[in-house]
Amino acid sequence: MADFLSGAAQIFTLVTLIYMLAGSVAGIVAAAIPGFTVTMAIVLTLPLTFTMDPLQGIAVMLSVYVGGYTGGLISAALLGIPGTPSSVATTFDAFPMARNGEPGRALSLGVWASFFGTVISTIVLIFAAPPLALFAVRLGPWEYFSLIVFALTIVASLVGSSAIRGLLAGLIGLAISTVGTDPIMGRPRFDFGIEMLQAGLPFLVVLIGIFAISQLVSEVEDAPNVRSGNKLVTGAIDFQTWKVMKEVLMRPVNLLRSSIVGVLIGALPGAGGSIANLVAYDQAKRASKHPERFGRGEAEGIVASEAGNSATAGGGLIPLIGLGIPGSAVDAILMASLMVHGISVGPRLILDNADLVYGMFIAMIVASFMMLVVSVLSMRLFLRVTDVPKWLIVPVVMTCCVVGTFALNNRVTDLYLLIFIGIAGYTLRALDYSLAPLVLGVILGPIAETNLRRALMTDEDPTLFLTRPISLIFLVAALVSIVWAIWSHLKTQNNIERLPDAPSS
Amino acid sequence: MNDANLVETHNQEAGEIARLLSYVVLLLASIGLFVSAGAIPPSRFEKLGAGAFPKIVFVGLAVVSGIAIIDAVRKIPRSAYGRFISQTVAWARRRYLVFVCLGALTAYLLAIPVLGFSIASLIFLFVLQVILMPRTVKSIAIAAVIALVFSYGLNWLFAEVFTVFLPRGVI
Repeated sequence: MADFLSGAAQIFTLVTLIYMLAGSVAGIVAAAIPGFTVTMAIVLTLPLTFTMDPLQGIAVMLSVYVGGYTGGLISAALLGIPGTPSSVATTFDAFPMARNGEPGRALSLGVWASFFGTVISTIVLIFAAPPLALFAVRLGPWEYFSLIVFALTIVASLVGSSAIRGLLAGLIGLAISTVGTDPIMGRPRFDFGIEMLQAGLPFLVVLIGIFAISQLVSEVEDAPNVRSGNKLVTGAIDFQTWKVMKEVLMRPVNLLRSSIVGVLIGALPGAGGSIANLVAYDQAKRASKHPERFGRGEAEGIVASEAGNSATAGGGLIPLIGLGIPGSAVDAILMASLMVHGISVGPRLILDNADLVYGMFIAMIVASFMMLVVSVLSMRLFLRVTDVPKWLIVPVVMTCCVVGTFALNNRVTDLYLLIFIGIAGYTLRALDYSLAPLVLGVILGPIAETNLRRALMTDEDPTLFLTRPISLIFLVAALVSIVWAIWSHLKTQNNIERLPDAPSS
Repeated sequence: MNDANLVETHNQEAGEIARLLSYVVLLLASIGLFVSAGAIPPSRFEKLGAGAFPKIVFVGLAVVSGIAIIDAVRKIPRSAYGRFISQTVAWARRRYLVFVCLGALTAYLLAIPVLGFSIASLIFLFVLQVILMPRTVKSIAIAAVIALVFSYGLNWLFAEVFTVFLPRGVI
């Protein structure tokens, strides 16, 4: 209790709270810019925390972290461009909802879902950090590979109008992930002697090119509409704070399920928000009585994606605090920040620096409240984006995408990749390929390959994938997922075929 | 079938042919890359080499593309192939602003290493806004201010606040 109070006393000082508020605003603004990730924002914050106390520094970085997960939803909802990889699934429903004239509701749903997701994950973190961390570390490459196979079957539910094109898009994503040096031995692959391909295709450049550039140019398809000075999004810019809070709380099962998915995936080293939002969305769609409404502005979809990605913030801290294993790039930077202050991260962290760990838990809760307050107060300002005509916003956001792409690695060659990938993305969009499976393939490809090869390097017996119980559970879940997807796809097809006959019957 | 329905059907058929072409391209690319993956030397230290995972992916891509080709060929009526080129040209004409945007973006990205971020962005932003906008004195003035803020202003912000230096160019 003394440690808890000591941690609380360090957080609830005026200076720390002001720093945290600034961090929260910075995280939201940074993640709202396409191509500017939460990781980049945290990296830029790190040097600023060197002069602070350890807990103060960590609290500021957690504020940027929590704010960043929410900021990604702003461009996802208003522009249809995921500000961060963790808000890919948010675009599926938040963007159509904004387009249907409810941009305020779309943002508000996302903010509240993010808030509750973070709070739930922090509560789970407090109680479950030690046992969950021990479980996560027991998983070997067999279980990881099977988990990724399961995650890939989610493609089946994200396929859009055509299952075959969805599968093809997923496979194209996996193929893109094989370009560059292989993840185990570092052997060059498919670079065709071109220098800029030798390091592989950077994931963020693919994300910006595929989603942002293709979305932006598709905004100008209708020339008379653009020339008339029409706005990107039309409709009421009413944030409906309390009404939407009730709406989110009326979906307790979805909220809890998505948050738990986020915590569990966040707790697995190497996974994280970029996968959690898609898995949570998929689970919400499967559990829904009206899965056909998903992708057209369904509130359940926004709640699932945002609660899922925000809950990984708490989940990611589980292996970090319990074992000293960072669950994601952001957690690795948080760990580096502690090490800079001379604090060794590992199983003894909670024993030697209990006040710091409790302080981190309190900082997470405070950061989520700050994110909520900043979002509610500033969202009207963000919603002014809806007043901007297309002729202005398309070139400006394109420039922001270019800056984001360059700032990632300070490489001009990434800009050339951006235009190739942007043109390819628009072509696929015009041909009615679903782009989400492609992104999922790019994210999961290297993780799947690494674990498959690592498993067979450890033991050449492939039956271990089936004989290790957790691995088997994931593979059975993958099989069930595929069968369910085919069944529901056939059911939808039958319904569509029956519809034209309906009037005559 | 009325004229509007007929046009819609023709457009859908042209779309199906375009998708068929994309499946063929994917099939050929996956076969080529599968062969290329076979040339990656195996490793002495592991059962699967660097080429094994790509081979699995390209086999999957080839099989699914093959299924897609069979499905598409079954759906498309023979008469649709004759109309394909004219339909594609009409489609591209309707979306001419897309090609203008992609062309402007390509020129902009190629110009950045030469002109530097600020000058290239200023020109790109101003020109593209003027192309897309309903032209009035007010909107042109807004475009000029926006171009200035998001070129020199953004460059200043990144250099001074984030210490990220955007390309300066060679001139």
